Amino acid sequence: MSLSAVSTAQVTEIAAEVFESMVDGQPGLLTAWPGGPASVVSPLHAWVDLDTEPAGRVHLTIEAAVADDLARALLELEATEPVAEADVVDAFGEIANICSGNIKGLLPEHVELRLPEVSPQSPSGVGAVRLLEVMLAWRGHPLVITVWTV
Amino acid sequence: MRALVIDDSRAMRHIVADILGGLGFATVQAGNGREALDLLEAGERFDVACIDWNMPVTNGLEFLTAVRARSEWRDLTLIMVTTEGEVGQIVRALAAGAHEYVIKPFTPDAIASKLELLGLLRVRETT
Repeated sequence: MSLSAVSTAQVTEIAAEVFESMVDGQPGLLTAWPGGPASVVSPLHAWVDLDTEPAGRVHLTIEAAVADDLARALLELEATEPVAEADVVDAFGEIANICSGNIKGLLPEHVELRLPEVSPQSPSGVGAVRLLEVMLAWRGHPLVITVWTV
Repeated sequence: MRALVIDDSRAMRHIVADILGGLGFATVQAGNGREALDLLEAGERFDVACIDWNMPVTNGLEFLTAVRARSEWRDLTLIMVTTEGEVGQIVRALAAGAHEYVIKPFTPDAIASKLELLGLLRVRETT
């Protein structure tokens, strides 16, 4: 099995488990996107590269303001508490890391996982091929997971 | 009981430390294996260390190897807490000296169960 054989159902299941266990502490807050285009106006991207052959990438995109809420959820902060930018980067990167590690775990061969990167800018897409896209909603806001060869 | 939580993610350190604190452990945090080794070399002692694998500077496997090379640290119980879920990686960590292995994502019960197995936590009653 290669990254190209990973299915949207598998990625959806991994993401649901990650959010249930690590973020929300309960199921049901990460759901399928209800349909229609998901507009992410001011995105924050987190991605992890995998040393597959060809090289792979797992890429998560979320609204930057929602990433703040994600960090608050992970750090157990109140909704009105300020959250440092470094903590947002750390929290979103760690979610990408856990999702990527579990996607990597679907592969039969050992591959190395790179450290997560987080940026308002999408990573370079030159020559990249999108293998799958999963549209989800976390607390009603879009979360997009894509898997690439790069 | 004292626990050392080693992870480059502050959020993950917070989660693991919170779970351990709830189980009665006093926790100290380190952002990578090198920081954790510095604590041990400074004379800090812990009953258990929860160790991420993929970290900058000194990763979890390198930390394991360094700890196992020092006889004075042999009483330290080592639990890997990582996204590395492949069987080969688990075997690699156990061979390097890890006592237990927890794959992210995990629940608080998963951590507690490992501590019970290792005799670091009294077995909880189940209903």
